[in-house]
Amino acid sequence: MSVTVEHLVIAPILLPLVTAALMVPLPERMRTLKAAIALISTLGTIAIAFTLLGIADAQAPDGGSAVSVYQLGNWPAPFGIVLVVDRLSALMLALTGVVVLAGLMFSIARWHSAGSYFHALVQFMLAGLNGVFLTGDLFNLFVFFEVLLAASYGLALHGSGVLRVKAGLHYIAINLAASSLFLIGVSLIYGATGTLNMADLAARIPAVPESERMLLEAGAAILGVAFLIKAGMWPLCFWLPATYSVVAPPVAAMFAIMTKVGIYAILRLWLLLFGAGAGASAAFGHEWLLIGGIATVIFGSVGLLASQDLARLASYSVLVSSGTLLAVITVGNAGVTGGALFYLVISTLALAAFFLLIEVIERGRIAGADLIAVTLEAFGDGEENEIEPVGIAFPATMAILGIGFAICALLLAGLPPLSGFIAKFLMLTALFQLPDLSADATPWVLMALLLVSGLAVLFALMRAGIRVFWVPVESNVPTVRFLEVLPIVGLLALCVVLTIKAEPAARFMQATAHDLHAPETYIKGVLSAPRVERPLEGSP
Amino acid sequence: MFSSDTLLLATIALPFVGSLVASLLPTNARNAEAWLACGTALCVLVSLSLLYPAMADEQIVRSEFEWIPSAGLSFVLRVDGFAWIFALLITGVGFLVFLYARYYMSPEDPVPRFFAFLLAFMGSMLGIALSGNLIQLVFFWELTSFFSFLLIGYWHHDASARAGARIALTVTASGGLCLFAGVIVLGHIAGSYDLDRVLAAGDVIRGHALYLPALVLILIGALTKSAQFPFHFWLPRAMAAPTPVSAYLHSATMVKAGVFLLARLWPVLGGTDYWLYIVGSAGLVTFVMGAFLAMFQNDLKSVLAYSTLSHLGLITLLLGLDSPLATVAAIFHMLNHATFKASLFMGVGIIDHETGTRDIRRLSGLYRFLPVTATLAMVAAAAMAGVPLLNGFLSKEMFFAETIATHNGSLLDDALPYVATLAAMFSVAYSLRFIRDVFFGPPATLPRTPKEPPHWMRFPIELLVVVCLVVGIVPNLTIGPFLNIAVASVLGPNAPVFDLAVWHGFTLPFLMSIIALAGGVATYAVLRVYNLDTGPLFVLAKSRLSVGDTVSAWARRILGLLGTQRLQTQLRILVCVALVAGFLPLVGHKLLPETMELTPIDPAFALVWIIGIVCALATAQQAKFHRLAALILMGGAGLATCITFIYLSAPDLALTQLLVEVVTMVLILLGLRWLPKRLDEGLRQADSSTLMRRYVDLSIALAAGAGLAAVSFAVLTRQVLPDGIADHFLERSYTEGGGRNVVNVILVDFRGFDTLGEVSVLCIVALSVFALLRRFRPAPESLSVPERKRVQEAFDVDHPDRQPGETFADYLLVPSVIMRLLFPVIGTFAIYLFLRGHDFPGGGFVAGLSMAIAIILQYMAMGTVWVEHRIRVYPLRWMALGFAFAFATGIAAWLVGYPFLTSHMFIAHLPIIGDVHISSTLFFDFGVLAIVLGATVLILIALAHQTIRTHRKPSMPSAVADGVG
Repeated sequence: MSVTVEHLVIAPILLPLVTAALMVPLPERMRTLKAAIALISTLGTIAIAFTLLGIADAQAPDGGSAVSVYQLGNWPAPFGIVLVVDRLSALMLALTGVVVLAGLMFSIARWHSAGSYFHALVQFMLAGLNGVFLTGDLFNLFVFFEVLLAASYGLALHGSGVLRVKAGLHYIAINLAASSLFLIGVSLIYGATGTLNMADLAARIPAVPESERMLLEAGAAILGVAFLIKAGMWPLCFWLPATYSVVAPPVAAMFAIMTKVGIYAILRLWLLLFGAGAGASAAFGHEWLLIGGIATVIFGSVGLLASQDLARLASYSVLVSSGTLLAVITVGNAGVTGGALFYLVISTLALAAFFLLIEVIERGRIAGADLIAVTLEAFGDGEENEIEPVGIAFPATMAILGIGFAICALLLAGLPPLSGFIAKFLMLTALFQLPDLSADATPWVLMALLLVSGLAVLFALMRAGIRVFWVPVESNVPTVRFLEVLPIVGLLALCVVLTIKAEPAARFMQATAHDLHAPETYIKGVLSAPRVERPLEGSP
Repeated sequence: MFSSDTLLLATIALPFVGSLVASLLPTNARNAEAWLACGTALCVLVSLSLLYPAMADEQIVRSEFEWIPSAGLSFVLRVDGFAWIFALLITGVGFLVFLYARYYMSPEDPVPRFFAFLLAFMGSMLGIALSGNLIQLVFFWELTSFFSFLLIGYWHHDASARAGARIALTVTASGGLCLFAGVIVLGHIAGSYDLDRVLAAGDVIRGHALYLPALVLILIGALTKSAQFPFHFWLPRAMAAPTPVSAYLHSATMVKAGVFLLARLWPVLGGTDYWLYIVGSAGLVTFVMGAFLAMFQNDLKSVLAYSTLSHLGLITLLLGLDSPLATVAAIFHMLNHATFKASLFMGVGIIDHETGTRDIRRLSGLYRFLPVTATLAMVAAAAMAGVPLLNGFLSKEMFFAETIATHNGSLLDDALPYVATLAAMFSVAYSLRFIRDVFFGPPATLPRTPKEPPHWMRFPIELLVVVCLVVGIVPNLTIGPFLNIAVASVLGPNAPVFDLAVWHGFTLPFLMSIIALAGGVATYAVLRVYNLDTGPLFVLAKSRLSVGDTVSAWARRILGLLGTQRLQTQLRILVCVALVAGFLPLVGHKLLPETMELTPIDPAFALVWIIGIVCALATAQQAKFHRLAALILMGGAGLATCITFIYLSAPDLALTQLLVEVVTMVLILLGLRWLPKRLDEGLRQADSSTLMRRYVDLSIALAAGAGLAAVSFAVLTRQVLPDGIADHFLERSYTEGGGRNVVNVILVDFRGFDTLGEVSVLCIVALSVFALLRRFRPAPESLSVPERKRVQEAFDVDHPDRQPGETFADYLLVPSVIMRLLFPVIGTFAIYLFLRGHDFPGGGFVAGLSMAIAIILQYMAMGTVWVEHRIRVYPLRWMALGFAFAFATGIAAWLVGYPFLTSHMFIAHLPIIGDVHISSTLFFDFGVLAIVLGATVLILIALAHQTIRTHRKPSMPSAVADGVG
């Protein structure tokens, strides 16, 4: 027998994990070799992710969905751990791969030498992220959360410095507390249902007796809090801007996917466990998610308006993106969820690009440039009448950075002509296809939320953009290496492609959302997957 | 010939292609840019003119391209008469402005950017005109906002340009978002975003419950774009833009987009009182206010800006009047205003260019220097004032006629003729001021001596002024057919019959015109007495109110209320949220079954628990003041847990807990040395608020702890679920897993993948700790030699018979010898634990920890240097080896066709021992051992080397230097 294609399901975890293990004993001075290995591994992971995406999407031409199940140790669900590929997990794998690759490429130009074990930690984090998206088991989800969190601790501290270590240690403290909650939640759910497999849980929850249901719901609520800490829901999000704005920029770019891990967990578990078919527990906690999401968007928008620093602006944009997703996915409509998924992809890509871009932009600015620019804006420079009506030419580098900045701003604000607008359009148009519009305030509230938060993003980024690119403060044109521009351009180009090729993307998201709202196929697929029957006897 | 698809696509695509090419030309390519831009505009004009036959037939030309059909969004290009006229206007004025800009912009200006933005703007405007889908219209709508922002801020070194651009974008983009929302609602009502289908659903829309929200949202969009009250303030400030931009955006196109949309959607949204009141009153207020304020402006461009406000107000008012004839007048005035206002802006640009100033107070007697330009500007200004025989007169007369007609008999209706005449008077007055103050009077001292500009710079103005005249004199022969086409497409079968004649006889509108002209002259005469330099009371329009700064200040204040940067507060919130979340589902339920027999409490066990609880509380109490005491107490709580596990027959857990407890405690103790000292006097004397906070924290902690204890008790006392997975493990542990120790079989087989993940976590943590501590530089106060060591060294110095360092070396000599001796003992114990693991308590994890303890003991007893000289400590390689074993075990299963980590039993024939049943999981478990060992030792080394690095001596050998890099 040979190694066959069915092992592809576990490959997105194993490939980076093996790569990371391989890099552990390599000394720091072999950094170039490590970078090369890391690049190959990440590219390989992306290739696998897209293959899985193709498989997940092709399996069901009728719009329904079949899932690929991988039983670790050949133990079937619910007894062993299973990995499951459906459209959502494949999508998240691909997105993760792309974002991590961008951060990785950017770091190779200079940042990876700012501390030890950077590449190993990145590969561990990649393995952890992929594990989270693939696993079909609640405790295994915890394990992979730990893997990616542990790696993120190391990466948050990468580059050291007082600010980074302080924010990094806060980040670690909060997330350790979150992990404890995760564990408490999982054990309560296990205590109430006797199983850890997600599909099995979904199958059992409608029949959970009343005496156990409260424990199950208490466990789910505590588990939810753990996810919401990751996703950055207000009031559990204060660590996020503090951390994201000071960690090394390529790390911040990779962290753009980390809040989406919390969103993914909510999306996966709440729609699976507490969807329409969950009996007495249906829609458990949805109203809290809605309120929390709205509060998060408001907090993020206020933060945007209050901030001057570019990295802080980006961090608060992360919150806006998270809050939007949390609020929108509770509507419980496949169309809206489809739009939300589109938004998730776009905002993640744009935020990653934005974090990278900021670093390059800031590089050329002299210390205190922001302060001078703000003063100039407020009080003028005292010689307005003498200004020559002759434009100032932009150096090519600044022009490219400026265009990149504008693209990021448009994407994040959800303005035309880019895919951010399409994402918002998809969500809104689905919201306004709900039946009872005059009676239900939710669509209106959400519409206001989407548009006003977009406006806050636009206003804040416009102000920052004017300050950085237009106010004539003395600054140097930053030296930018090709390897640094490439990931930024790549990420933004992907967003542009998603604008033009919006139809196939939107169709895929709709199919994904449809699967999520009708999880029967997922449950049946996982629970009925056969074990590998022993093809031959004897020792290997 | 070309198909209509090709023509339409070319019309919309050419400007954007041109923009892209323009942006790539070299910085000083002024001529090439102008040729490119004008050429593009001409091509678009040609392709538009090819559509004339279809337009004359009153056809609608459509071509549809799929974009996101699944969401009802297609890219539809749709031309009817109105869109066609508007597109012609955009392109025609665009062409003239491009030509003008070639001469206006300084040779040093980096024009590629300028022309690229202008062309892209033209493309976006054409997109608005030709959109056959409302979402697509919003799409181009926001694009125009974006490009106008870039154009207004083109001279971005000028603070007022930056401010103007910022305000323009804020207002128009916000309006655009409202329009977006409105269109979404409209699409919901009409069941489609397609313009044709929306236009066909007028009755449904007007009768729908959501009509009002849709209307208001769409109107906000249109009114912001057309700078109507109360959103008018952005337009005057946008005058910081280069003049070609103002001539294009703020006369002919961008601001017309709002009224274009109003006219476009009037058939479906109009015809209600809401429409009349909102649109009509916004238009009326802007009309009067703009004209009034224009009289007091001293900057020529500001005069034109306020006049534009006023004229747009007039158009809006006409559309608001909600009658077919008023709509005709509105469309007519849109065209007329574009021609005279664009030429006036360009004329002002020439004045500015030639004299170096735009200030009316400084300008005077320019006629003698610029006779041609002056004549042209005067004709255009006369058209603006509504002087007969010019185009402005015609549309204004139609407007007057409409104001007289009755609409709904309200107060607004009655007042309208008077207000309209008054505003017309104002507009005569400011036009007169423009003409007389600038061109006549004594010559002024100017920054530059003006001369006539190059011919081609004047050409656009000449052309536009000729249009003003020709339309004004023979309207039926010139504009008539075009106006018919446009009106027919907007009004359809309801299109009224209208008469464009110059002379209608002595009618009431004509009388109003005469009154306006005479009154305007009189007003101007009166105003000259009033000192125009100080201006009116309307300071707001000019003040440098920085809304942005106010917003940020407020936002910062709110942020301070909504958020926190403090870790303690964050953790408090976190625990409280979790507590509430966990508690709420339990409310109103019984946690425990009603009949439950509690087992009698074992006093010894209870005592252990009491000790544990006291230790835990004391840990929390001491953590702030005495870290060492807190740590030791925490160890006590850990031991209580450990004993509990043993008492409840969980030896595996107890063993693991014990070892983990020991190792972490030792490592933390080693790290404690580097934490800065705390002066606890200040901390202990807390004020009342601090005390209060501590008590609150204590109650939260007690509540959380009690809650957790309660649910744990509830879970543990429940019946074992009949179909849970626990039984499954018990049944199959030996039969299928090949081990009697279920815990171990779960760890290495059933859920071996979890274990792989967890040991990875351990490895990652070790790497992170090492990476962090490599860069760690202790606080200065922790750098000094510890007190004990100082005392010992002082002792050596005081006693002449002792060598320095002897006491230190002799300190705790006996224990250290014992610890050295323990190394092989613990090592053997670790191997024993490892081998028995599958059947009895033990396994790779605890074995690895034991082994690590053996090494830790050596470091503690003999010091880093001594140990690393004698033992080869390569934690990184150990971890790599561990991973290699784990992966190899997992992947070996692939070779025989099984999933990752599938276990396999086989019988090994060992010499002496004989046949042994070995599970493949043994190799996996060995991997676990190696990783656990490596990780623990790496953390140990990271801490140990801190000492070496801090007290660095000249040649410190480091055995692990190559190992850990």
